[in-house]
Amino acid sequence: MAADGEVKWEKVLWRTQPFPDNYVPDSFLDKLRKNTNFRPYSFRGLVLAACAITQHLSTIFIFISVFVRLNDSTLDPRVLVWVTVATHVLGSIVWDVAERPFYEKHERRANRAKAVKSSLMVFLALIGLSPVLKTLTAATSSDSIWALSAGLFVINALLADYREPASVPRKEGLISVLSMNAAISASVVLASRLPTNLSVFALMLLSIQLFALFPILRKRIQAVPAVLHFTFTVCIATASVWSMHSLSPFVASLFAGTLLFVTFGGPGLLMWAQQYKNEIRGPWDVAVPRVRPDT
Amino acid sequence: MKHKIAMIADFFHPVVGGVENHIYMLACNLMRRGHKVIVVTHSHPPDRVGVRWLVPGLKVYHIPFPTIASSATLPNYFTFLPYLRTILLREHITIVHGHAGLSSLAQEAILHAHLMHVRTVFTDHSLFGFDDAASILTNKLLAGALRNVDAVICVSHTGRENTVLRGALEPSVAHVIPSAIIADQFKPPVVPPDTSTINIVVLSRLTYRKGVDLLVATIPLICERYPFVRFLIGGDGPKLIELLQMRERHLLHDRVELLGHVRPTDVCNVLNRAHVYLNTSLTEAFGIGILEAACAGLCIVSTRVGGVPEALPPDMISFAWPEQDDVVRALGEGIRRVKAGRHDPQLAHDRVRTFYNWTQVAERTEVVYQSVVESVERTLWERLTRTRRLGTFAGLIYACIMLVDCLFFAVLEWLIPRDSLDYVSEEWDAARVQQYLNQARSHQSATEGGESAT
Repeated sequence: MAADGEVKWEKVLWRTQPFPDNYVPDSFLDKLRKNTNFRPYSFRGLVLAACAITQHLSTIFIFISVFVRLNDSTLDPRVLVWVTVATHVLGSIVWDVAERPFYEKHERRANRAKAVKSSLMVFLALIGLSPVLKTLTAATSSDSIWALSAGLFVINALLADYREPASVPRKEGLISVLSMNAAISASVVLASRLPTNLSVFALMLLSIQLFALFPILRKRIQAVPAVLHFTFTVCIATASVWSMHSLSPFVASLFAGTLLFVTFGGPGLLMWAQQYKNEIRGPWDVAVPRVRPDT
Repeated sequence: MKHKIAMIADFFHPVVGGVENHIYMLACNLMRRGHKVIVVTHSHPPDRVGVRWLVPGLKVYHIPFPTIASSATLPNYFTFLPYLRTILLREHITIVHGHAGLSSLAQEAILHAHLMHVRTVFTDHSLFGFDDAASILTNKLLAGALRNVDAVICVSHTGRENTVLRGALEPSVAHVIPSAIIADQFKPPVVPPDTSTINIVVLSRLTYRKGVDLLVATIPLICERYPFVRFLIGGDGPKLIELLQMRERHLLHDRVELLGHVRPTDVCNVLNRAHVYLNTSLTEAFGIGILEAACAGLCIVSTRVGGVPEALPPDMISFAWPEQDDVVRALGEGIRRVKAGRHDPQLAHDRVRTFYNWTQVAERTEVVYQSVVESVERTLWERLTRTRRLGTFAGLIYACIMLVDCLFFAVLEWLIPRDSLDYVSEEWDAARVQQYLNQARSHQSATEGGESAT
């Protein structure tokens, strides 16, 4: 009790206080904290993070446009094989350069030998398999194949791993493996529609490049300076839109719109939605126990 | 003024727990003060079905709804109305009192009650966060249910702040009335346990929220530092395995005794074996376990979370932040205090006895009931506009539910007219029962006496 005879309200339950049970003290909700761990996104950062999605969508559309050309026989499969081999070599060099700070010299040499060996293995296996793949879905109607491959590509795009590369290397999750498998399956069913063994082989080679190897390389590219990263994204997106354009200007413009939305519209929406962020913390939250890891 | 109250909750006997016990004790004490109380809960097939009576004359209606998880029924908004209408009308109920935030029966009863012009009170027993999907959903359901409630009761000031935020309530609607304990059930032992070994007791469900990780990290350090200390751990749960592993790894089989599940009737016996009560909970609305231990004369060490700091005066409890080193420090203080004989169990018991009792809880609840009955009832239009303002989408959904509810109620009025109901005309009267009992006894002894004479 205070000196002037006025009773002060206290936040206790064990003492009966001369206040009604629904008395609202001045200190009501004074422990409430809003948005304590809130750190606003920057538009630049969001756009850079969205670049991974743009790149992935672009690769899918590059693949589809190549398939359509092979199917129409407007693209010589031999050219495609050479281009693919060339990009593979180029990609390996980029990878090697990017790996430089992480490994010792002798380690890199061993890695390089391993990479060459497995590349050759895959190359030969695909040559051997392409006659089989060509007739794999001969009994299935083309309509089913288009629907199936479209579904698989959607799964691939949804499940792909777009995260920033971690500072500590982490294991590939089940989700990204599923994503890759969906894309390869889509390529297999599409390849089985093609007219010649060589075109099947060329398309499968491209598919391995784009859906198995490129995502790994993409992780490395995400770590390079932002300007380079962004320029690369613009290049690959332009290439995919351009390759679609000669097939169907309408689809190409739709696709270009989608890419623009993913790269700039999505981050813009998130920036706008940030003003509604209202994270409430208070004494009722479940505390996080602090325990030393060694015990 | 005497009220006719229906306590409605998914959580009630035969399940044992804090909410269940609270409802039962509150109901008994309100009955003792002359009010009529019934309980409506879901059934527990095969044997707890239909209408049952509990000592001392508490009528329990078991609604045949299946439960989905941890004794809670699925929210479905309409199927409860036929049961509720019949029960409220035939029992002449004037106040519906729902309990527990996750109890859909309670929430639905509060939504339906206005159709029968029955007033509503809601008691929230737990704390919830705001940041995970489950909380977001259940908080929205709660806000919808409590939009037109007449009064809310919370068990601690922290709980009140939490409920006001979750239910988007006016602060003055929410009252704080703590739970209570029966002090006679938790007496310190006549002969205090010997202090040559100090027993530390932990009684809780062994789950993450109860801070078992802290406990596992603390026990080896305490055992190493104080060779005269033993741990008694009562309770069961998914984290039991971690305690077992810790005991194995640090070879503490003779120092850490795991009692498994402790029945409510045995709690006092376990408490009476120990000197210090340790609570490592990470969230706690009120902490009835702490009160029970304090009442049994134990020295209390607890993490400073939720409503725990409000429950006891600061000189009766040692607080620690939920950090390993701080728990070790606070526990060490407690151990040294008991060891030095500076903790008086009987004094602690006598003090706690004056803090909390059920009569007081019933009195304070009565005041809430009275204010609710005296307040002006909201009209249907007012309810509808208030519900509509709940949110762009949620408001619309809840308004639709409310309108359909009204239509359903009109159909029920036609289908089961009020004059066809089997109204309760005789109430349970403890005094009259006692009188009949006495009559029967005297009659029996008279005839027995007569027989022996012949």
